[in-house]
Amino acid sequence: MKHPSPPYWADRFLRWYCNPKFLEEIEGDIYELFDRRVEQKGQRTAKMKFIWDVIRFFRWSNIKKSNSKYVKMNRTLLFKNYIKLGLRNIKKNFVTSSINIFGLAIAIGFAITTFIFVDMQLNMDRFHSKGDRIYQITNFMEQEGEDHRWGDSPLLLGPKIASDHPSVESFARIEFASASVKAGADVFDELITFVDPTFMEMFDFPMIYGNQQILYDKNKMVLSKEMAIKYFSDEDPIGQELSIKFLNGTIKRLTVGAVLDEFPYNAGLRDDLYVPIDNFFDLQFQENYDWSYLTDATFVLMKEGESIESVSGSFPEYMQLQHASNPEWNIQRFDPLPLYQLSLNGWQIVGSVSGGGHPAGRIALMLISAFLLGMACFNFMNISVVSATKRLKEIALRKVMGGVKKQIVNQFLVENTLQCMFALVFGTILAYFLLIPGFDFLVPQMELEMRSSEPQSMIIFFVTLLLGVGLISGAYPAFYISRFEPIAIFRGSQKFGAKNLFSKIMLGLQFFLAVITIVGSFVIADQSMYLSEKDWGYDPAGAFSVYVADEAQYEQMRNELIANPMVETYAASNYLIGRGVPLRSLEYDNRQIPVRLIGVSEDYFETFQLRLKDGRFLTDQALDQQSGVVVNEMFVKEMGWEDDPINKTFVYDSLRRTIVGVVRDFHYYDFFSDIDPVIIHGLDKTKVRYISMRTDPKNVFELEQSAKTAWATVAPNDPFDRVFQEDAFDDFYRENSTNITIMMIITAIAIILACLGLYGLLSFNIQGKLKEFSVRKVLGATPKTLARVAGKQYSIIILISFILGAPLGVMLMQQLIDSVFSDNQKALSATPFIISITLILVTMTITVAGQVKKAIKINPAEVLRNE
Amino acid sequence: MKGTNLGELEELIMLTVGSLFDKAYGVAVMDELLEKTGRDLNISAVHAVLRRLEEKELLSSRMGGSTNERGGRRKRLFTLTKAGKQILDQTIAVRTSLYNSIPDLTFNFSI
Repeated sequence: MKHPSPPYWADRFLRWYCNPKFLEEIEGDIYELFDRRVEQKGQRTAKMKFIWDVIRFFRWSNIKKSNSKYVKMNRTLLFKNYIKLGLRNIKKNFVTSSINIFGLAIAIGFAITTFIFVDMQLNMDRFHSKGDRIYQITNFMEQEGEDHRWGDSPLLLGPKIASDHPSVESFARIEFASASVKAGADVFDELITFVDPTFMEMFDFPMIYGNQQILYDKNKMVLSKEMAIKYFSDEDPIGQELSIKFLNGTIKRLTVGAVLDEFPYNAGLRDDLYVPIDNFFDLQFQENYDWSYLTDATFVLMKEGESIESVSGSFPEYMQLQHASNPEWNIQRFDPLPLYQLSLNGWQIVGSVSGGGHPAGRIALMLISAFLLGMACFNFMNISVVSATKRLKEIALRKVMGGVKKQIVNQFLVENTLQCMFALVFGTILAYFLLIPGFDFLVPQMELEMRSSEPQSMIIFFVTLLLGVGLISGAYPAFYISRFEPIAIFRGSQKFGAKNLFSKIMLGLQFFLAVITIVGSFVIADQSMYLSEKDWGYDPAGAFSVYVADEAQYEQMRNELIANPMVETYAASNYLIGRGVPLRSLEYDNRQIPVRLIGVSEDYFETFQLRLKDGRFLTDQALDQQSGVVVNEMFVKEMGWEDDPINKTFVYDSLRRTIVGVVRDFHYYDFFSDIDPVIIHGLDKTKVRYISMRTDPKNVFELEQSAKTAWATVAPNDPFDRVFQEDAFDDFYRENSTNITIMMIITAIAIILACLGLYGLLSFNIQGKLKEFSVRKVLGATPKTLARVAGKQYSIIILISFILGAPLGVMLMQQLIDSVFSDNQKALSATPFIISITLILVTMTITVAGQVKKAIKINPAEVLRNE
Repeated sequence: MKGTNLGELEELIMLTVGSLFDKAYGVAVMDELLEKTGRDLNISAVHAVLRRLEEKELLSSRMGGSTNERGGRRKRLFTLTKAGKQILDQTIAVRTSLYNSIPDLTFNFSI
């Protein structure tokens, strides 16, 4: 029978932790006990007890505290030597060191930019001192089976919450309205923000003039700094009067009571003209001040120490109230959203009052900078390991002279951290002078600057970056190199560099990441280009519209323009495609269908060249104007009437409508959003807001001039607000081309990093193989053969990384695209692949060619002479 | 001074080491303690005390010869040092003198 032995892993654990000084006696004693126990109590118990003993011996006095059996040495003195040597090495291998440092610096600069960007997005609205107690009461509505979070809430919700719950300190509502504001002779179109007087106390925006109580005076208003400058430039704005003309024609005269300072960079809520909400009630609510009206936002401020939970209990009751007064708009549930979460969630709130982009941009940026950092670290590792080939003898000598492994590790860690430090400095400079201003230039509304919400978070970020990058990229080379035995090095039998699997894997990984980034960027760029060339569904060229305040203005404008020979057709409408068409809800067959409604006159279709699919266009005849509608394809699909939509009827706004025609889907807003079902109905003459004209595209500016002259006689007190239909998607195109630019920059960085890595590795490798090349040359190898030998192993690596990386990049980006663009290219084109393969191949060839040339040009006599 | 006072376990182990003379190593001390006092100590506790006493220079140690037992591991054998012997003497003396000064009354009382 085999002699029973103690559990192997327990013994190993003991040997691992135990101070070698005590190991022998401890092991001896527990072996003895084990043998005895096997005889007395059996193997099982003995094993259990053995494990127990090992665990019991695991105490501070027995644990080895040092790797070495030797006496501790004074290592601090050596640090000076390490740093000096590190600096010398950077100087000596200037090219590779600067590749290392430069590559890292780019990645670090990008990481810093991302950090600042993300930090800003995560810390929106943090400057409000009561911010942690402020909540916006949002609500959920089910539309088309999807839960939508709405920012709008019943107008009476705020007062009701405040009067029902002592835990609530105050509430404030926001209601937006468009108006034209007149100061002196100037008239501007503005967005007026009606707020409760408590608003300024709840949110403490920094103020230049005035106090937070100013809005309790119904005749006062608050301006942002920008507005104060716009209206009064150098004058003192306080006490100045502005006259505001609202859409229904009411004119209010208000005095400026306070001026806000420039908004802090992380202000999510930033409006320009604050007016007490009582003025809004004057406009609209003499009678029906009830639960049916939805205001744009309701905020509540909890008392200190009170939780929002105390309010939640009453939400069902409020829902009942709301349902009773507005049965067509049934709120499913209320949900309080903390102020700090507001802009993070802004993208999924319908009608959000705060800014805040889609998180996809944030995530993509973080992913990309992580990739770039990863690439740069691999680069660094690779070149550090390979560059150590030149220093093998130094390492061996250090070891012979009594240096232990740990010292060598330290030495390389110090040297690498030194390089990282340089990279950090350069990266910061790069971020500060190039990347952040560049980003700011591309996306000006972000107001990106070098700053962070709290100074310590930035310091922590920098230290983490330095140590993280330094350790990740320095640790492997340090541990790898320090393991070499001096004797193997001196004998020359240390196999190293040329056949190093590790550096091949690293290079592969690097190219893998590069391919993901490049392919991903091109997929996004491709998508963006696809969008920019997309059909709008109508013909924008030559269409031109002017905003009119009422029917009288419309009539006058029409009379002025009708004689103009340039006008081919004209039409009236209540909304303008391209400027947004409001979303309404149609109840049909017990479903709530989101629809968009436009009221138009006869020639509207002609004017915008909407494309008829079926039936006919609307006419100005009485029947058409009253109950006839033209719908888009999406509407037909949504209703399930694909077979024969013409003459189908449905009820909207308690009126039976008949479909007389179907138009092809067209983009009424931008390409980011889905196309909703659209109903085009006859225009109620009193609601006319736009007069639209069609002219020859080359006359459109001339037409604008004559329209402007006409406008001056029609309505000298109102701003001339005209829209070239071709400009309708300008914002969208600008954003789109910004996306393309950013992607191109990222691609460029990724390619540069990958090529730097390849270059660094190759130059070392060829350096090490000069003898081989010389011999080959002597024996008659042609330059072609030499080039093949030098480049072969790398092309395989790159091929593999491409095969793995390309699909992954496509997958990642496609997911991103799916979540951002509702309208995307379903079929992936081959262009991104072709472009990225070509790009990588071309840059790689250029990189390799330089090095291979060196190999071809060598003079064998020079190289071989020494031996 | 703390160092000169012996804890109870320390004292027992010193005595055991003394009595085992030249054969005192971890397991032997543990066995002896179990036999004489009925105290079942874990071997790691014995090691800890032995090492502590050695640091106080009350015990000295040397490695024994290697045998086929114990997986060929040598034993660390402990002996009392001069200081160790002295401190034991002192401790015992203090105890005896204290003990002796207990009046007979006490004993009578208990009868």
